[in-house]
Amino acid sequence: MVDLRLRGVVVIVGNYGSGKSEVAINLAAFHRQAGLRVRIADLDLVNPYFRSREAREALAEMGIEVVLPPDPYLQAELPVLSPMVAGIIRQPGELTILDVGGDNVGAMVLAALGDAFAAGAIPQVLQVVNPLRPATDTHAGCLKIRRQIEAAAMLSVTGLIGNANLIDETTPGEIADGYAFVQGLSEASGLPVVCITVAEELLPQVDASRFICPVLTIRRQLVPPWKKAGRL
Amino acid sequence: MGKVLMKGNEAIGEAAIRAGCLNYFAYPITPQSEVAEYLSKRLPEVGGVFLQGESEVAVSYMIFGASACGARVFTTSSSPGISLMSEGISYITAAQCPAVFINIMRGGPGLGGILPSQADYFQSVKGGGHGDYRLLVMAPASVQEAVEMTMTAFPLAEKYRNPVMILGDGLIGQMMEPVEFPDHLKSEPSNKDGWATNGMDTRRSSTRNLVRTLYLVPEELNAHNLKLKAKYDRMIREEIRWETYNLDGDYRMLIVSYGTMSRVCRTVIDNFKAKGIEIGMVRPKTLFPFPKQAIYDAAAKASCRAAISVEMSMGQMVEDVELSVKGLKPVHWYGKCGGDVPTPEEVMEEVSKLMAS
Repeated sequence: MVDLRLRGVVVIVGNYGSGKSEVAINLAAFHRQAGLRVRIADLDLVNPYFRSREAREALAEMGIEVVLPPDPYLQAELPVLSPMVAGIIRQPGELTILDVGGDNVGAMVLAALGDAFAAGAIPQVLQVVNPLRPATDTHAGCLKIRRQIEAAAMLSVTGLIGNANLIDETTPGEIADGYAFVQGLSEASGLPVVCITVAEELLPQVDASRFICPVLTIRRQLVPPWKKAGRL
Repeated sequence: MGKVLMKGNEAIGEAAIRAGCLNYFAYPITPQSEVAEYLSKRLPEVGGVFLQGESEVAVSYMIFGASACGARVFTTSSSPGISLMSEGISYITAAQCPAVFINIMRGGPGLGGILPSQADYFQSVKGGGHGDYRLLVMAPASVQEAVEMTMTAFPLAEKYRNPVMILGDGLIGQMMEPVEFPDHLKSEPSNKDGWATNGMDTRRSSTRNLVRTLYLVPEELNAHNLKLKAKYDRMIREEIRWETYNLDGDYRMLIVSYGTMSRVCRTVIDNFKAKGIEIGMVRPKTLFPFPKQAIYDAAAKASCRAAISVEMSMGQMVEDVELSVKGLKPVHWYGKCGGDVPTPEEVMEEVSKLMAS
């Protein structure tokens, strides 16, 4: 299996509910465990619940720097962007992951950071795709959202992350279908597949050797109160 | 169609379309705004109409107007917005028009907060607006159940010519779960010829329909209220829905809980079971009419020492649990209201304390 190695600024975008935050959190944890200095910034200004900030304690315990708005505004529905974000885009260190809100609306915040992006290296902008979500169940749907996000963000998408899942009800068949879907999307768009995701509990049932891209293990963090988060 | 992954708010919007409702009027408010966002894209694709009102007060009367014309119509809002709609809701019940109101509750009172809450229990079950009226209130505990209840709500509203409310806490709107949609219900409201003000030439009836809420003659107003009461009594006979959990064994305590709070309580019951302690639960799926008899029967079991109402409110449903248990066993309350849903550990601690006392 190919190694997953991300460096510099990595921007996670995608349609609403594609699983960006869960992917961003697990990408951060994976690279931290590989020994990198990792930062994650929650730029979700549109979603009121289930944002990556909810995993802040688990991430901080691993030694990941979590960049968030100041505490009193954490649960506010105000578009509060930490003033630190522009600075870390200019000086990303080994790996800085930006978890952006959904759709073009959520990606608009990136345009506001245009000066910071222009000053640094070209960022990797990864589109998370779950074909089991209604708006992205076709390649055309994924490409439409890609265009809308690029227009709003004023950045180009540079890669794909296949995140096919039905949360607890995902089957190995859906992982295989999701893999084929994102490979097809890669051919249609010319974008490389950076990785696909598989939930930790499903991993034993999946033959990862048949995938030509890296597999990111997902240990779910953004769970409802009656469920336990996975151990990062 | 297989399962898809959807946010509760999106799924509610899709469910309404599949129930044959193509009229949606709303005003945005967290945590339900995704319904409007979803339907603003989706309704034009299926020939439907989404109109944003200038306020929730306006929306409630847009609902009244569409409903009075015999159209299937619904709205969604969250707590403060439902307060504003309450005047319209009272008028709609008085005029006996069917409509569906969905409240994705947030913390209160006042602006409160944007996190999950169940503090609008009294508002939906006991009134909200003025006058002697009732809403048929359903409380989903999962996104799938929100879909099913939304689809059931329209025919029920038409059966009773009365608004149906779906009461979901913020989590129901915001969480994502796999859902499957039943086939479309293609039916039209079937009984509207006798009341809808949709123009004489569109109806099979030759009598003039009049939608009104003003009855100045005391005998007429009393008769009108008796007619409404007869409908609410029929709801009590025909529409009570509930679910039980772990009631087969000799449980020591009975939990009564609804909505997503009941899913925390299921984990609580499973955790206690692993320790050899049996706890049972009744989950009301309709809050009005309330499953009084089911709760009484469950509390009456010899092994059951007490009942506890676990709710994300400061002791609202507990009053109906007390009325149900009729003094047979002690009734307790546990709840939180800031937006942090009580964790299984917190509920277990409270239940353990009560069992030790």
